Amino acid sequence: MLAAHLSPLAASVFSLIAIASLLLAFVMLGSRWLRHYLYAFTAESWLIGILSASVGYYGNYPELYLIAILTFLFRGCLLPYLIFRIIRRMHVPREVHVILQASSSLVIGALAVVFALGVASQIGADLGFGGTVVVLALTVMLSMKLIGFLMLTVRHEAISQILGLLVLENGIFLGAQILVPGMPLLIEIVILFDLLIVVACFGLMVQYLMTHVGSTSSLHLRRLVG
Amino acid sequence: MVGAFALAIVLAPSAAIVLIGITRRPNLAAWLNLLASIVAFAAAVPIPFIVGTGPHEYLGSYVAIDALGAWVTLCSAVVYLLASIYAVGYMRLLGHEDRLPVFYALFAGFALTTLFGPMMNNAGLYWIAIELTTLVSTFLVAYEHEAESIEAAWKYIIVVSGGISLALLGTVLFYWAGSLVLGPKYDMTWAALTHAAPQMNRSLLLLAFLLVLIGYGTKVGLAPMHTWLPDAHSEGPTPVSALLSGALLNTAMIGIIRYLAVADAAKVGSVPRLTLVALGVFSLLIATLFIMRQEGIKRLMAYSSVEHMGVIALGVGFGGVLGVAGALYHMLNHSLNKSLMFFGAGSMMRSYETKEINAIRLVGRRFPVTGAIWLAGAVAITGAPPFGLFASELTILRAGLQTIAAWASFVMAVLLIAIFIGFLNHFRCMYYEPPERGDERRGHISAWCIVPMWLAIIPLLALGLWWPQEVWSYFGQIAHALGGGALVAGGAP
Amino acid sequence: MITTRDIILQALQVLTVICLGPLLQGIIVQFEERVQRGQGPGIFQPYRDLWKLFHKDVVAPETASWLYFVTPVVAFTCMMTVPILIPVLTNYPLPLSDMGDILGGGLILTLGSFMITLAGLDTTSAYGGIGSSRAVMVAILAEPTLILVFVGITLLAKAMLPFVVNHLLVQQPAAYWSPTHLFLVAAFFVLLLVETDRLPIHSNTHIEVYMIEEGRILEYSGPLLALLRWASMMKQFILYTIFCNVLLLPWALSYQGTALGVLGSVIALMLKFTLVACAVVVVDTTQSRLRFYRYQEPLAASFLLAVLAIIGTQLG
Repeated sequence: MLAAHLSPLAASVFSLIAIASLLLAFVMLGSRWLRHYLYAFTAESWLIGILSASVGYYGNYPELYLIAILTFLFRGCLLPYLIFRIIRRMHVPREVHVILQASSSLVIGALAVVFALGVASQIGADLGFGGTVVVLALTVMLSMKLIGFLMLTVRHEAISQILGLLVLENGIFLGAQILVPGMPLLIEIVILFDLLIVVACFGLMVQYLMTHVGSTSSLHLRRLVG
Repeated sequence: MVGAFALAIVLAPSAAIVLIGITRRPNLAAWLNLLASIVAFAAAVPIPFIVGTGPHEYLGSYVAIDALGAWVTLCSAVVYLLASIYAVGYMRLLGHEDRLPVFYALFAGFALTTLFGPMMNNAGLYWIAIELTTLVSTFLVAYEHEAESIEAAWKYIIVVSGGISLALLGTVLFYWAGSLVLGPKYDMTWAALTHAAPQMNRSLLLLAFLLVLIGYGTKVGLAPMHTWLPDAHSEGPTPVSALLSGALLNTAMIGIIRYLAVADAAKVGSVPRLTLVALGVFSLLIATLFIMRQEGIKRLMAYSSVEHMGVIALGVGFGGVLGVAGALYHMLNHSLNKSLMFFGAGSMMRSYETKEINAIRLVGRRFPVTGAIWLAGAVAITGAPPFGLFASELTILRAGLQTIAAWASFVMAVLLIAIFIGFLNHFRCMYYEPPERGDERRGHISAWCIVPMWLAIIPLLALGLWWPQEVWSYFGQIAHALGGGALVAGGAP
Repeated sequence: MITTRDIILQALQVLTVICLGPLLQGIIVQFEERVQRGQGPGIFQPYRDLWKLFHKDVVAPETASWLYFVTPVVAFTCMMTVPILIPVLTNYPLPLSDMGDILGGGLILTLGSFMITLAGLDTTSAYGGIGSSRAVMVAILAEPTLILVFVGITLLAKAMLPFVVNHLLVQQPAAYWSPTHLFLVAAFFVLLLVETDRLPIHSNTHIEVYMIEEGRILEYSGPLLALLRWASMMKQFILYTIFCNVLLLPWALSYQGTALGVLGSVIALMLKFTLVACAVVVVDTTQSRLRFYRYQEPLAASFLLAVLAIIGTQLG
């Protein structure tokens, strides 16, 4: 398996990128201004594109260069641009009513990372890969998923929820690049395009929310109960 | 031969979408959709008869049609046909004439995704198909552009997208587990995973399966991930609700069934099945509680869907020939019955111009024939003989009693009785209680809306009275193809 | 074998902290004033303040108890003890350096702060109470984070002595640039801001209601106040020393203890501190004043970074 037999330089490059992505996920968790959220997400997407390219370089998977370029273009440029347009149309610069304070969510996020580490080291030890980049990749993947769900739960703005979902996908992509770089090209490209369609749909839904419900905050979506 | 039929199933709705897009006339769109559904149904019916044993693979093993997939596609095709017939009469009543072509195009697209979902051989492509169903159906749920509809659609897309991203994580972990056995590059077909399963790492496989279960379980509507279901099913237009309940939930269930077969092949013990059983029981419990005190007629039907998906989950979890047979038979019966119930509810909603159960009174007197069919459907959906759901639920109960989770069978029986009482109580109120305010609003239900109800109840009765041996052996063959794993009495399989 | 030179160096470390502490404070205040386009009081102003205070009388409140008089002494003594444990001038352990490890050093620092908090309550004045309660509020979040940072440092070097950490970072650039170390630096930087009262929450004006830590010593005067001020300047110096010499810039310490080497390390020390002071002043002035309750946010971020650093050590 590629990730288990890496040269130390490659391992540290992967570790650095993975941990930096995790840190950016935390920046997203702790920010209240939607623009900061978006910038952190853009930076995270670029980092993941760089990771794709490095995996392709160290593992001799030339098709990963294509994936890296597509990630840069779609996840790193097009997606943030679409979301930026939605934000600008929405006139909502930040989360005004906070369900959970930013600091508390940071602490809960830290606990989530500890939990993810526990699960990942358990699996890593089982597989015999303990102590390599594999455990780190699993940890970052699982913790970004947990942080994404945390963002979905404690944020009430529609854009924050969309970005939370995208962080989920980012985490999976990050883990997939390190753990299974040989995943068929077709599947990866289709998932990438699928993401684009998802964001387009979300944009349309946000527009509907604005026109018919009058606000994009889920605090106002309380009509259906029981 | 099978390939030709499958191609017809896929091409018919696609052609309908294209043609609707070109000619944008509402009536023509309705007819094109209906035609597509008839073609799809006609192509879907023969496939289970001729599919034989092995999966027929096409497009370089990306598409494979086996017995299980053929059955689920048949269920979806049936619901598509019934809902299309109903939609012709129903959608005229909604009053958005200019947007009807959009509706029918989306409708055909949604049906298309549920039809080809079970045919996907590659686990990654299957995930993409499920994702596509979510995206298309969101806009169908939001079709009416009311605040409640948008709220329901938003909740639907957020909850389900979050859920199936968990399924994606599970899929990636499955791929990883397989890559440690099969090498870094391989086609992630169900057969390849099952083949590599015995050598996969246990704890990784268990984690991956649980993630996939929770992820696709969100799509199926198992509690506690069901929160989107009542809103989406009740706020969408009625044909959409029927398709959601009857076709989509089954398509998501097939993913769980296939992954369960992989987990069985790896012999990870009884945790996967027990989790599935626990989720099924919990769904039944939640459904019971919410059916008892329900006020909206379509939400009532939606919670009934949660209940039946719980029953199917129990059947799949119990496993063995009985369990799988019961679950699959239940799928078809539930699709027929739920469509019937939704059609009746939609017609009543339009006639009485209300969504609340309390405001619908004296149905039997106002609509004698339709009301009788609807009442028969209500009796059927709560699991009473001689309808089909009774047969399948009894089979699942029997399957459960043979396993170590026999307690689940008892709980299921008790909860089904409770649901019977609660559900039919609502119908008693609607049929026999006098109205609080004397009003003589009486709408007219068009023939387009009554015919599908007849078309649903007759097979339902037939399937309940007569379960042919060929169908039994068909299910047995499917159970065998899935590896025949089950929760055996006294320990792990 | 303990040589006289080692003992002299040890004493010299304590003297350096005592004598150069006010200089560091002066540099920081001067920088801040210059950045804000004022003229600044000059970098030697704290010395003049201390001199003035030592020549004044002690005016004690009637409600003060023995704690009031003991606290300045205890605080000053604590601050004199810590330089013995950490690498200030030399990068090899001097005699008595293993008297306490990193956690021990942290304990003594906190002891001094704790006594001052008690003294703030002792005088039963309102502003003392506010100052003490606010200081404790911040400490509740800051102390566990500080412990976590120390745990992270310990896990990084697999030893509890700051000298071992210093050697590790100098000898292995891989350890220096590892995510663990970078996160620890970031976490400690936030804690540095908190402990030296430079969070963008404090106010530069001397209005009592805005004070966080200074409110505790409002009732002090004369030499007692001088001792307390000096102790806080020394604490600042010590924290900067730990930050620079152990974590961020562990180079330029004396290797053999010659006079020239020691002189060089003192100059290098002041240069390093100037760099860090620049960073602190930049952070302090570019961020506008926040509400007091937002103190949780940088501390939560610091906690998070410490947890990530610890996780980084677990991942090889």
